[in-house]
Amino acid sequence: MIKNHNIIYLLNKFSKSFIFFVFLFFIINFEKSLSFFPLFKIATPSLISVIIYISIKKLNVKPSYLILFLVGFLNDVILGSNLGGTPIFLLLIKFFSEGLIFSKINKNGHQDWIAFTVIFLVSFCIVFFINIVINLSLPDLSPVFYYVGTTLIIFPIANLSYDFIFFITRLLKS
Amino acid sequence: MVSGKPSKIKSLKSRKNLNFLLAFLCLTLVFLGKLDLVAMRNAKSFLSDFLAPVTFAFNKPVKELAGVFEDVKSAGSLRDENIRLKSELRRIKVLNSKVASQKLELFELRELLKVLPKNKNNIVTGRAITAPGGIFANTVLINAGEDYGIKIGQPAISSLGLVGYVVNVGLKTSRILLTIDINSMIPIYLTESNWPAVAQGQNGELLQIKFLSSDANPIEGEVVETSGHGGRLPPGINVGKLYKSFSGGYFVRPTVNFQRLTYISIITNKKNVSNFSNDFQGFAPLQKPKKSIVLKGLDSSGNRKVESLND
Repeated sequence: MIKNHNIIYLLNKFSKSFIFFVFLFFIINFEKSLSFFPLFKIATPSLISVIIYISIKKLNVKPSYLILFLVGFLNDVILGSNLGGTPIFLLLIKFFSEGLIFSKINKNGHQDWIAFTVIFLVSFCIVFFINIVINLSLPDLSPVFYYVGTTLIIFPIANLSYDFIFFITRLLKS
Repeated sequence: MVSGKPSKIKSLKSRKNLNFLLAFLCLTLVFLGKLDLVAMRNAKSFLSDFLAPVTFAFNKPVKELAGVFEDVKSAGSLRDENIRLKSELRRIKVLNSKVASQKLELFELRELLKVLPKNKNNIVTGRAITAPGGIFANTVLINAGEDYGIKIGQPAISSLGLVGYVVNVGLKTSRILLTIDINSMIPIYLTESNWPAVAQGQNGELLQIKFLSSDANPIEGEVVETSGHGGRLPPGINVGKLYKSFSGGYFVRPTVNFQRLTYISIITNKKNVSNFSNDFQGFAPLQKPKKSIVLKGLDSSGNRKVESLND
């Protein structure tokens, strides 16, 4: 009986993780294909970091570190960038989103944008520094600023959209 | 007390260990990837082959949608575009008549000087599967690999000019490092001012010019082509146009629109780098220049050739 429970529990966990993995993989591919639009010609915003933050903070769905590692690794393989760069970024986003340090900034849940900005910038700066060390040269900064800027603009839009959908569904239920 | 879940403390400990392991693995991968090990390269090309159809399926709808937006946008300016094209056509007709006479003259001069005929390039054309985006890397995957004779180091071109060169080849796919990537360095030649240099990508829109002589007087807007120095790329492929920044530095603006890449051609008859360097005798002592190889902008002894327009 206990064995059966264990198997069902593990299967349930695995299926949930697998669906979340496919979803994140789709999002990261969608994010990269946004560069076909002239608006994102210079750089595409980091949709995956927005999704991870919202899912942890608002939906209370915590993607495992292993899933984030796999998604990042596959993204690096597809894009041909330095292996390990994207997984580090995703792991840092999750680590800081769950971290207690940022609970001081986001006291009542109304300072989401500030908390996300701090988390995103810290994670990005670490990855950016690693890339500078590996390439031994400083890249053009305009795509970097565009990437950071568009991500920080998209976050409140995504956040508000989530709040609006949540409000509508609650209204319909009541 | 008995439940299907493992105990909390145990799971927390194992999770912490796993997280450390993953972080360590990421950092190891970063540095291993930079070492460019054969095993890593093979694993990457295998995974690229495996993931190529999935990526293509994910990218296709967005690419089509972007195309629709572009069409709608251009439909609004049809009249202006028509006027512009008409004037362009008139200009091209005039140029065409000039080119026809110059072509004949060039042919006669080539005959007189006994210039070796240019080898015809074997070209393999593939479709770009991935988007070139990414602020840390600018590469494109195409759906042609070893089975079409593509090898590492071969140049990739489009109808507008140089796209980059092949850095990884799988059985069914090849990865092309774009000229705008920070790891890309292209030996170039300024066609009007007659100076060789190196164009390095910056992960941005422009290529930085390096190793340009202090005596050089580059002309803004002049065409930049590959010089063929180093033997990696053939000479005479269009790279872009020279651009002078506000600070006075010189950059190259590539003619290729990397966001709109659909088909990419690989010049497959170009020897790959490993074959090319078979008779390489080392950097010291200096090797005697071969008389048979005359690079653009240099004479047979390796000195810069100054071409006067009056001559």
